[in-house]
Amino acid sequence: MTELSDELLVAYVDGQLARKQTHAVEKVLEQDDVIARRVKALQDAHSRLEAAFEAILAGEELVVAKPERAGFFVPWVTAVKVGLAGVGLAASLMLMIAGYGWPLSMPDLARSSSGLTDPEYTGSVPPTWQETAARAQGLLSRESLEVGLESQSNLDLIAVQLGQAVGPGLKLPNLDRDGYRFVRAQLLRSGEEPVAQLLYLGTSGAPLALYAKRGAESEAPSFKRYGGIGSVAWSEDGVSYLLAGEADEPALMQLAERIRSGPQTAGSEGAKADSATPPTTPLRSP
Amino acid sequence: MEAEEFHDSIRPGLIALLPRLKRFADLLVGERTEATALLRRALHFMLAEQHRYLRGRALDGWAFAEIYRQWLAELGHHADPMGQAKVDEASFAELFGDDGDDGDALTTGFLASLPAQQRLTLLLIYAEKFDYLEAGRVLDISADTIASRLIRISAIFADRLSATAQPQGSASIAALFPQGARGSS
Repeated sequence: MTELSDELLVAYVDGQLARKQTHAVEKVLEQDDVIARRVKALQDAHSRLEAAFEAILAGEELVVAKPERAGFFVPWVTAVKVGLAGVGLAASLMLMIAGYGWPLSMPDLARSSSGLTDPEYTGSVPPTWQETAARAQGLLSRESLEVGLESQSNLDLIAVQLGQAVGPGLKLPNLDRDGYRFVRAQLLRSGEEPVAQLLYLGTSGAPLALYAKRGAESEAPSFKRYGGIGSVAWSEDGVSYLLAGEADEPALMQLAERIRSGPQTAGSEGAKADSATPPTTPLRSP
Repeated sequence: MEAEEFHDSIRPGLIALLPRLKRFADLLVGERTEATALLRRALHFMLAEQHRYLRGRALDGWAFAEIYRQWLAELGHHADPMGQAKVDEASFAELFGDDGDDGDALTTGFLASLPAQQRLTLLLIYAEKFDYLEAGRVLDISADTIASRLIRISAIFADRLSATAQPQGSASIAALFPQGARGSS
């Protein structure tokens, strides 16, 4: 009998293994009935738990949806009656919300039919300038200032500094063809982890920024908007990237694809300050 | 933008999330009425302190974390927090509806026997489909702890399912050989 730990089998059942590991486990399953029975029991456990949780959600959706009519404004009195009648405990939550002076718009509730498919909510609270500045301050580290502004556009220094901090797989993309000129780069931080910031300027408008930090092995690009700033996040070769700017989704996704598919050409000779536009370059630690 | 719109900006998100927030509170408390009360208090706090919500963070994860934080804070004020965290099995089973078969009873019984934090770990990973890191942020623990909890709980539940499957096999043998295995030899 092959020895496979529950740790590995649970990861397999939960779909957490890499493709190669998954294939290896599947090969073992074909040949070992004991392991196959264990995996089946784990899968059974998994699916029973999922079904149980779905049952609770179905009950809650029913309760929440009960007093509604699509697009119907629920007046205070009606809501109180619903609460008093004990139609649903969720109604009392709605009362609480109404107590905040809100009209209860039912389409909002109708939208919640399946939480799993809800788009990720990124919030819409406009921050004050002080809040924005304070958050930006949180990105600065000592290293951000230890290399002067002139050096920040020197590709060799950038390659050394960022390569050491983020990792050898980091790319310095050339976006000349897309109308963005590389201007400078610096090292920021997220908590204790270093974050590389590469800044580009188009012919007009705000800068385009590419952020990079150590991260997942591989993750497909996904777009998200934060107020006026659009962003695309993805991971490759152990580096997580965030491309951010005031461009729209198609433009940013296209740029992200160009960076992802950029050649892994080595060397940064010839890159000049001021107009230095690096090729898509994997940085090497010295 | 009007002032009211500014201040109410997380409201539609929270309303849309209400069934999921309620499920989270249900599993945390183990009983509907108390869960509703907890959720109400947590929502009050979230709305009054919505400036704490960091733009960019998924609202569901933030709201789950706030409910959990509220529960923990209130638990700490009890003289017997461990006693408060225990669930009544009958009330707990009501969360899952009335049409449960034997298999559901096994699952609900198992979930009722778990500490609240472990139930939430299962909920966040298997139902909410959070990754280990996100689930860890909600429960204020590391992704490694989430992973080890999942392995331990899954293994125990799988053992129970396997154990309950075995007596059924014995029963069918008893039906085939009413005199017992010796009588047939």
